[in-house]
Amino acid sequence: MLKLGRKWSEKLEFGIFTLPVLICIAVAFYIPFAMTIRYSLTKWNGISKDPAFIGLDNFKQIFMGDPNFSSSAWFTIKYAVLYIVLVNVLAILLALVLDMKLRTTTWLRAAFFVPYILSLVIVGFIWKFIFMQGFESLGASTGWGIFGWSWLGEPGLAFVSVLLVSIWQSIGFYLVIYIAGLQSVPDDLKEAATVDGAGPIRRFFSVTLPLLAPSITISVFMALTNSIKVFDVILSLTGGGPGGTTYSIAYDIYRDTFQNNLYGYGTAKALILFVAVLIITVIQLTIFKRREVEA
Amino acid sequence: MKRSRAGRLVLEIAMILLSLLFLYPLFLAVNNSLKSFGEVMTDVIALPKQLAFENYSYVWSFINYPQLFWNNTVITGLGLIGIILFSSIAAYKLARTKSRMSLLLYFLCIMPMLIPFQSIMLTVLQLAKGLQLSDSTWGLGMLYWGFGAPLAVFIYHGFVKGIPKEIDESATIDGASGFRLFFMVIFPLLKSVTTTIIIIDVMWIWNDFLLPLLMVNGSPDTKTLTLAAYTFVGQYTSDWQYAMTAMVMAVLPSIIVFIFLQKYIVKGVVAGAVKG
Repeated sequence: MLKLGRKWSEKLEFGIFTLPVLICIAVAFYIPFAMTIRYSLTKWNGISKDPAFIGLDNFKQIFMGDPNFSSSAWFTIKYAVLYIVLVNVLAILLALVLDMKLRTTTWLRAAFFVPYILSLVIVGFIWKFIFMQGFESLGASTGWGIFGWSWLGEPGLAFVSVLLVSIWQSIGFYLVIYIAGLQSVPDDLKEAATVDGAGPIRRFFSVTLPLLAPSITISVFMALTNSIKVFDVILSLTGGGPGGTTYSIAYDIYRDTFQNNLYGYGTAKALILFVAVLIITVIQLTIFKRREVEA
Repeated sequence: MKRSRAGRLVLEIAMILLSLLFLYPLFLAVNNSLKSFGEVMTDVIALPKQLAFENYSYVWSFINYPQLFWNNTVITGLGLIGIILFSSIAAYKLARTKSRMSLLLYFLCIMPMLIPFQSIMLTVLQLAKGLQLSDSTWGLGMLYWGFGAPLAVFIYHGFVKGIPKEIDESATIDGASGFRLFFMVIFPLLKSVTTTIIIIDVMWIWNDFLLPLLMVNGSPDTKTLTLAAYTFVGQYTSDWQYAMTAMVMAVLPSIIVFIFLQKYIVKGVVAGAVKG
């Protein structure tokens, strides 16, 4: 009898401790997610009383003939690949220099990190000002042609601008991860390689880089999850322009749902984004797991 | 193998120049926030002839800065308290209980990390409206409890597993159990991870844009700093001096905090990324 009472009180405590967080998570994720699945099968503008059930028509339309979707998907893929490669390569290079124990390392690390603590929307606006007004003055005083280019007005350049500003804002984050990774590479390993006659480049590729693998995994993972959802910086920097060439998937969903009031259609796209993120994450985790086993 | 001293010095100077160039956009923002309209239009890179502090007083009262700052504080503070409290206690219980149910609930807690916010933004807004949480800073703060929980539960869970069970047992013998055991004995031991979670969540909630845009953008009384700056630029498209003032005022709190807590922030961000 006593034992039974204890078991019940344990169960009760388990419930009391875990229930609040479960309710919060259900409200933030699971209930909205279920609603998303339901809406994606309907046609609804948010004004008419009831969403009309139309089965998989939304998905058909998205894949068969939605130029906005395909162009924004293509933009997001291009952006994600270039962002992941560039931000990681640049961050590793910077980290290698900062790891050489310069006298100003602390200042340098802080300087490169600062943009990361700022809101992306605001970063986008500041850069818009620089591209639109600042470059004019810089061009006048230096005479360099690149300042005269239309950085936000020409599709190819606008893409580069979005990429540059994103990298500028977030490189500090990857930098500190790589610095932490480099600090865990034991110095005697590098010295041993030097004694064995390895030059700096050889040493980097055969000693430092393999030992950085965990940091690279983390950084690529973070870069991928962030870049596939890119939204804020585009909203304030280019607003999707010029001529709709810089819409990302996330922006396209936002536009369809909140600007065009296509609730059902927009949520169908949102669901596709979820599935894409899910597949990419699962692939990445499998590769990561396999590598861990090998190590 | 040692590099020559001169070489090092050149590298050092090059890096300092690079970092200054890197921060130049921020300098330009501050620089032009202190100029008159005419000066901004004629030359962006020149220093202000006369410091136009009136830009600041104008924007300060126009966007009602103290109110915005208070809103940000309420949203971030309320969000943080709930995330820390609910996630830590649940993660502790889930890590200590060995059962299939416990494992299942743990996965239910961390799975949402895979759901991109844009996939559910419309329905979150609708649900929030139904629960009377929208158009209120308190409501928004409470929504963050759920959004912040998956990562927090994940980090706490991993950490609790490393705390020996004997600590719970000896505390039980001393007569502490349930909430007392958790808050008096376990929670203090979680201090280092709690700091990490505070740092990454403050940076996230304070600067968050899309969720506040959907939830509290309706009235000037509930806006956040970033939202106000965003709306402000929309209204003053060509008055760059005011726009830059609004930008600087929006980011200044973050920069001041960063200057003082730089070491902890960097450490917390790294720890969060490595554990997450």
